[in-house]
Amino acid sequence: MIEYRNVRKVYGNGKESVTAVRDISLQIKPGEVVVFLGPSGCGKTTMLRMTNKLEEISGGDILVDGKSIRELNPVQLRRSMGYVIQQIGLFPNKTIYENIAMIPRVLKWDKAKIDERVAHLLKLVKLDPETYSSRYPAELSGGQQQRVGVARALAADPDILLMDEPFGAIDPINRDQIQDEFMRLQARLKKTIVFVSHDIHEAIKMADRIAIFKDGKIVQFDTPEMILTQPKNKFVSDFVGADRALKVLGLIRARDAMNTSPKNVLPAEMKSPEALEFMVENNKKTCIVLDKGKPVGYVTPKLLKFEEGPVTDVTEPFQIFVEDDEPLREVLSSMLMDSMAFYCVVDDNGDFKGTITYLNIQNKILEFYDDDNN
Amino acid sequence: MNIYRFIEQNMDQVLTLGLEHLYLVFLSLFIAMVTGIPTGIAITKNDRLAKKVLDVANVLMTVPSIALFGVMLPVLAPFGVGLGKVPAVVALVLYSELPIIRNTYIAIKNVDSSLVDAGKGMGLSRWQLLREVEIPIAIPVILAGLRTAAVMTIGIAAIAAYIGAGGLGVFIQQGISRSYEEMIITGALGVSILAILVDTGMALIERCLTSKGLKIEA
Repeated sequence: MIEYRNVRKVYGNGKESVTAVRDISLQIKPGEVVVFLGPSGCGKTTMLRMTNKLEEISGGDILVDGKSIRELNPVQLRRSMGYVIQQIGLFPNKTIYENIAMIPRVLKWDKAKIDERVAHLLKLVKLDPETYSSRYPAELSGGQQQRVGVARALAADPDILLMDEPFGAIDPINRDQIQDEFMRLQARLKKTIVFVSHDIHEAIKMADRIAIFKDGKIVQFDTPEMILTQPKNKFVSDFVGADRALKVLGLIRARDAMNTSPKNVLPAEMKSPEALEFMVENNKKTCIVLDKGKPVGYVTPKLLKFEEGPVTDVTEPFQIFVEDDEPLREVLSSMLMDSMAFYCVVDDNGDFKGTITYLNIQNKILEFYDDDNN
Repeated sequence: MNIYRFIEQNMDQVLTLGLEHLYLVFLSLFIAMVTGIPTGIAITKNDRLAKKVLDVANVLMTVPSIALFGVMLPVLAPFGVGLGKVPAVVALVLYSELPIIRNTYIAIKNVDSSLVDAGKGMGLSRWQLLREVEIPIAIPVILAGLRTAAVMTIGIAAIAAYIGAGGLGVFIQQGISRSYEEMIITGALGVSILAILVDTGMALIERCLTSKGLKIEA
């Protein structure tokens, strides 16, 4: 739990003073990921750096678990928080092992416990301990280095992580992957995370709540959904971008938009003539064939014509299934490249959950905006 | 030329003076090191003080060595040590300070600021940061300064023979006044060989003390 109370930061004094942060108050709940988002020079990094006293606060107070950081020794305070920066900052003179073991060693943990911790952390960030422990930072790629950076920040198991554009210097392909992995890690570790970013995509992906900064103030502090659908003013809507409806697609899962009770479903045991009759009567162009709750493929009237056996004889298999937790952004992308008018949505077991079409997606988006406009 | 003969006949004296020379050099270097390195580190925290300290050290370097030995005379005479090893060591220490302080200062200043930021941010104390990160990274440059100082001091120490400090300079000084060519060459050769040996030795130390991680070409 981090509480900012009228936090202010002024650089310099007298006429030349510059106010970087103007009386910001906000609370970050335990286990929450809050992204400070804004253009450069908006005060977001200063705000983060005041949290672990790398910058002195000029006014107001910051409380960590109820205690004012003004009363805490900076070294002790920093050890209770992990710190990850864009430049990564691995010590080049130390091996990966020594880098991660730094704070545990300073805290005088015994050797066996440190060994175990380092190996555990390397596995968490998907690096093989045997291969990487004894390497030096210069021998690793940027993405691998930042994985180590994250492992190092987690070394003493702090409850809070401060991350200053941690994935900003990593190439886009690796960045996406490392963000995904980090989110999976966070789902397990449930750290309280303050994350500075200038990338709206990253913020939407990572944040439970986003604080949008402008000129040392917070313009809007809200969930990604609210920021996208109800930007408070022009600055926020401009920052979010004109394509914000597309960004909303990244937030909605297939299961939220799908049709859960489609009418065009046939059991696998059904005979073809019967199925044809059903389709003609109900004017269906395509029907899904379900075998014990699993979609095995589809049939069309053309396929069923002149057939006598069960429908499974002529069933065409599906090329693509949609997982129920897939974001609509990806579903739509597949649809745009494919001639299928609908997809089957399945869960982890491959069990049929529903169908999804362009119309479902569009309705969901409209519904999203309607809800918010009321 | 009978340099071989001269060296052969005066082996004892060559060795004694050589060792004396080394003693002067290493004593001076040691004193300059234990004062210069901490000074170099300390002034990284204060740019204005750094400029002053480096200016003073720079000026000291510009004073010709023979003049500095001369200046030592009236300054140290009241303490009864105007001549001999004491003024020689004091002068050599003063000369060595500049390369040592300057290299230490530059090396620590040049440690990537993101490393300092990361170190501080993770909760290293000022001293831990220095010991674990800044000094190990600065070591090659600090040692290069020591190496410069060592080679320079070996040369200047030869002149210290004029104020009675001993060392290989004695051969040169006496050789000149007696027009004894073999003696001069022996002294000069000895000084050169010492300089080369010490330089090579320090290069080796530099290589050993530099972390493997710093030698990897990224």
